[in-house]
Amino acid sequence: MDNIFINIAGWIRDFIAGFGLSEGLVYLAMVLVKFVAVLVFVLLNVVFLVYMERRVAGFFQERLGPNRVGPQGIFQLVMDILKLLSKEDIVPAGADKLVYKTAAYVIFVPTMLVYMVIPFGKGMNVIDLNMGLFYILAVSSLTTLIIFMAGWGSRNKYSLIGGMRAVAQMVSYEIPFVFSFLGVIMLTGSLKLSTIVEAQQDVWFIVLQPIAFIIFLIAGNAEINRGPFDLPEGEQELVAGYHTEYTAGRFAMFYMAEYANLLAMAAIGTTVFLGGWHGPWLPGWLWFFIKMYILVFGQMWVRWTFPRIRIDHMMHFNWKVLLPISLANILVTGIGIKAYEMLRTMGWW
Amino acid sequence: MFGEGLLKGLGVTIKHFFAPKITEQYPEVKPKLPPLVKSRFRLNREKCIACGICANACPNKVITVNSEKDENNKKRLTGYEMNLQYCLFCGLCVESCPTKAIEIDQDFELAAYTRENTKMDMYKEALTNPPGTAAKEDKGGKDA
Repeated sequence: MDNIFINIAGWIRDFIAGFGLSEGLVYLAMVLVKFVAVLVFVLLNVVFLVYMERRVAGFFQERLGPNRVGPQGIFQLVMDILKLLSKEDIVPAGADKLVYKTAAYVIFVPTMLVYMVIPFGKGMNVIDLNMGLFYILAVSSLTTLIIFMAGWGSRNKYSLIGGMRAVAQMVSYEIPFVFSFLGVIMLTGSLKLSTIVEAQQDVWFIVLQPIAFIIFLIAGNAEINRGPFDLPEGEQELVAGYHTEYTAGRFAMFYMAEYANLLAMAAIGTTVFLGGWHGPWLPGWLWFFIKMYILVFGQMWVRWTFPRIRIDHMMHFNWKVLLPISLANILVTGIGIKAYEMLRTMGWW
Repeated sequence: MFGEGLLKGLGVTIKHFFAPKITEQYPEVKPKLPPLVKSRFRLNREKCIACGICANACPNKVITVNSEKDENNKKRLTGYEMNLQYCLFCGLCVESCPTKAIEIDQDFELAAYTRENTKMDMYKEALTNPPGTAAKEDKGGKDA
């Protein structure tokens, strides 16, 4: 059971190799196949996540949420997407058409790029980069640009404010977000995600780096514009923020990208802090999946509990609270590692 | 401690997450209406003497009573129609009926797709839905 997906990948590889292609071409084809598999996985999960969010929101408010379309309303998002696709596609008269349209098409790209290096199980990543974590941080920060493109291209004051806020928020929270990983990187001495997960064989990094984990949760939540940090799209002030002017299929892209980002954040958290595929009895990929969904539920729980933070408080919290704490965490981790090494050399451990 | 309030808030919401849902599950569970709610009329064909008092009592002239005389020169009911689109559900027909042949109950699901369907042929319906049958019965009626 543990290697079911790796075996399937092996069969497909043998099948493609059967055509007598060169080594490089087979590799390329396999990357493509894996990419499509991950894409399908992500889209199916997004469909479920939107449903889950609405259901969870309903439960927190003591109502049932969508429960009409299909068993328990599971096909609600399918119908929603169909409805959105059948609607008129409006481009605002004054919009910067190229920027406006491109933003909707590329909003999924950084998210999908992040998924490319995530190990969903032992050996179950599309590409196992040596610089996996660095790559994730570099690629995920691209989302800022795309959101700003959407806000700028719409030529709408609410969109613009939303885009501006997104930039301010995401660039600021990028810093504690990155620093929260530094402790883990110092412990493992590697940026390779599979190595980081292997290092958590005995102890998950949530135990060794609890403060970093909390910082990751908060900063990650702000990075994906959710929960108490949904200032860039605060309904009460900005209509819908950067995607105010988007309709039909393009709006659906933004809507789904938001949930793909949520899942990506949960996947990163699982990989770095919750021990990835490690866990007893069940197969590794199932463990990864369960941990990921526990994190997702946590994010939803937070979102439906806390009211939106004020914009100046948001900045204050980042620069004056999260950043010093994350720096202190790095310092303490460094001292801890050195102390541990010293005790070991002296033979006390 | 810093962050204690946040945890407390999370505790409050998770309690509501597992609490029983308070919304009314309408199509599955019918609402409990106040006792004076009046909505669907039902006719008892045996009791009706086709006197037409209900039709006269109706402020909106909703009711049409059709009758014929039999061999004993007695009136016999042959049709009873209510045009519910003009009915204001005052219940005066029920009050005026000398034999209590017409009754009112709380089945409120009277919505219809077309104007024609708002006409309720209570003479025919009385066979399938005599008065006193539970309000859950929705066969016949305005859609028939």
